[in-house]
Amino acid sequence: MSGANIDNEVYIVGGGMTEFGRFDGEDQELAEQAMREALADCGITWNEVDFAVGGTNGETKPDNMVARMGLTGLPFITVKNGCATGGVALMTARNGLIAEGRDVAVVVGYDNHARGAFAASPARYGIGGWYGETGMMVTTSYFALKIKRYLHEHGIDERTLGYVSEKAFDYGSAHPLAWRRKPVSVEEALESDMINAPLTRFMFCSPDAGAVALVLARGKRAFELCENPIRLAAVELRGRRPGSFEVFSPWLSPGERTSPSIDAAKAAFETAGITADQVQVAQLQDTDSGAEIIHLGETGLCANGEQGAGYLNGDYKIDGRLPVNTDGGCLANGEPVGASGLRQVHEVMRQLQGRALGQQVPNNPRIGFTHVYGAPGISACTVLVKEGANS
Amino acid sequence: MSIELVDASLFASTDPVALQGSACASCGAHVFPAATSCPMCAGVDVSNVALPTEGTVWSWTTQNFAPKAPFRTDEFHPFSIGYVDLGSVIVEGWLLHKTEWVIGEPVRLALAKAWTNDDGTVVHTYGFEAI
Repeated sequence: MSGANIDNEVYIVGGGMTEFGRFDGEDQELAEQAMREALADCGITWNEVDFAVGGTNGETKPDNMVARMGLTGLPFITVKNGCATGGVALMTARNGLIAEGRDVAVVVGYDNHARGAFAASPARYGIGGWYGETGMMVTTSYFALKIKRYLHEHGIDERTLGYVSEKAFDYGSAHPLAWRRKPVSVEEALESDMINAPLTRFMFCSPDAGAVALVLARGKRAFELCENPIRLAAVELRGRRPGSFEVFSPWLSPGERTSPSIDAAKAAFETAGITADQVQVAQLQDTDSGAEIIHLGETGLCANGEQGAGYLNGDYKIDGRLPVNTDGGCLANGEPVGASGLRQVHEVMRQLQGRALGQQVPNNPRIGFTHVYGAPGISACTVLVKEGANS
Repeated sequence: MSIELVDASLFASTDPVALQGSACASCGAHVFPAATSCPMCAGVDVSNVALPTEGTVWSWTTQNFAPKAPFRTDEFHPFSIGYVDLGSVIVEGWLLHKTEWVIGEPVRLALAKAWTNDDGTVVHTYGFEAI
C-alpha cells in the first residue's frame, strides 16, 4: 500500500456463509450461523464487535440479531435496498468505522424467500394498477426486453446467453454452498423452455434462502485479526439518472442511455485508483444470463460488444483473462436478496486469499471487483485488494 | 358511447386512439403516463400532451407464462410486450396479433381487449400492431 493513513483503511478480516437454496426454518437462524462462522474465521467473539449493519428484504428486523448474538449494547443499523442491499450494508459499515473511529464491524445479509418469481405491487413503485393488470409488472420480461435491445445494439449473438448459463452451472456444480450444482450445456440452456424470449428457464436465477456475514476491521486492528486481510479499496453506491433503463418502466427516454452500474463502477475504480483492466476476479449481478453480459460492458470490464467473442474464447472462465462469477453467481446460487451482494464479496475475498470453496482462480489474483444492481435503479460496486498488491 | 378502459388517464382520446403523456416546459421531455413533475430535470411546469400514434419497435419479448395477480385475463395465451419508439418518448405496451418481431419494425397504436368484467363489459388497454 502507498503512504495513505492506515487508520482510514477498512479491511475484510473474516467471512461466514450458509449453504444457499431452500431452507425450512427461520431466516435469522441462517443469519446467526453466518455471523458465528465469520467471527470464528478471524478468531473473535461477539463482545469484541463494536458496530454492526444488517440487511434483509424480508419482514424480520436485522437489528434484533442482538437477541441471538448477545446484548452488548453495540449500535446495529438496518438497511433495505433490494438487490443492492449487501453493497449498501458494506458501505454503511465501512463509513461507520471510519467516521466514528470504531475498530471492528460485522455486516450480515440474509433472506428466506418463498418459491417463485417476486410478485411486485404497482402501487409500491408509484405506478397505476393497470400496469400489473395488463401483465407488464413482471421482472423477467424486463430482463428480456433489456438484453434483447443490448444484443441488438452491440451486435452480439443470442447464443452467447447459453455460454453464460453453462459457465454459471459449471462453477456452481463445483461449489459446496451453491444451490444449483448440476452442469448445463450451452445447447441445453438455449433449448430449454422459453420464459421470455430470448431468455429460457436456465437463464434466470430464482429467489431462495441464504445468509452471509463479514467481519470488517479498521487500520492496524485488521492485521492483528487476519494474516492476509483484504482491503476494501472502494465501495460506491449510485442511483439512476435520466436515460437509465430500469424495471417497471412504462416509458424510457429516447436520449443517451445511462446506468447506475456505469456510474458506480466508474466511481469505485476512481476511488481505488485502479483501472478496470487490472481486475483479476469479478462478481457481477447476474439475475439472468443477459445481465452478466450487460454488466461486463457497463462496469467497463470489457468493451460493449466484445462479449460475444469473449464468451466463445473463455475469457470469463476461471483460467481466462477475467474470471467472472466463479461460484456460479446468482444463476447457480439463487438470490436471497439481502445476502446476495455479500456472497459476492465473500467469494472474491476467498479467491484473493487463495482459499476458494469451489474452483480457485490460478496465479494468485490480487485485485477483485464486485457489482450489485437492482430496483429501483441503484448499483453498488466494490474494489477489493489483497494487501501488498501494489508494493 | 364510451368504451371501458383499464385506466382512462392513459388515453388522450379513444376515437381516434391516442395515449396521454406529459411534456416538460423546461427541458421538453415527454413521459408516459402523464405526470405532474418532470423526472428528467425535476421541473414542475408540465402539461398533458397526446403522444404520436406511430413508431418503431425498440425492443420486444414474449410473455410465455401467466403473470401472477394482479394480472387479469379471460384465458391466458402467450403474448408479446415491447418498447415502441414514438420519437419523443419510448413507450412500453402490448405488441398485438403475433409473437415474433424485429427491432425497427413500424407499428401503430390500437385498442386491445384486456379482459371481460363479471357483468360482461369488455375492458380495453392499448397495444401496438404491425403496419
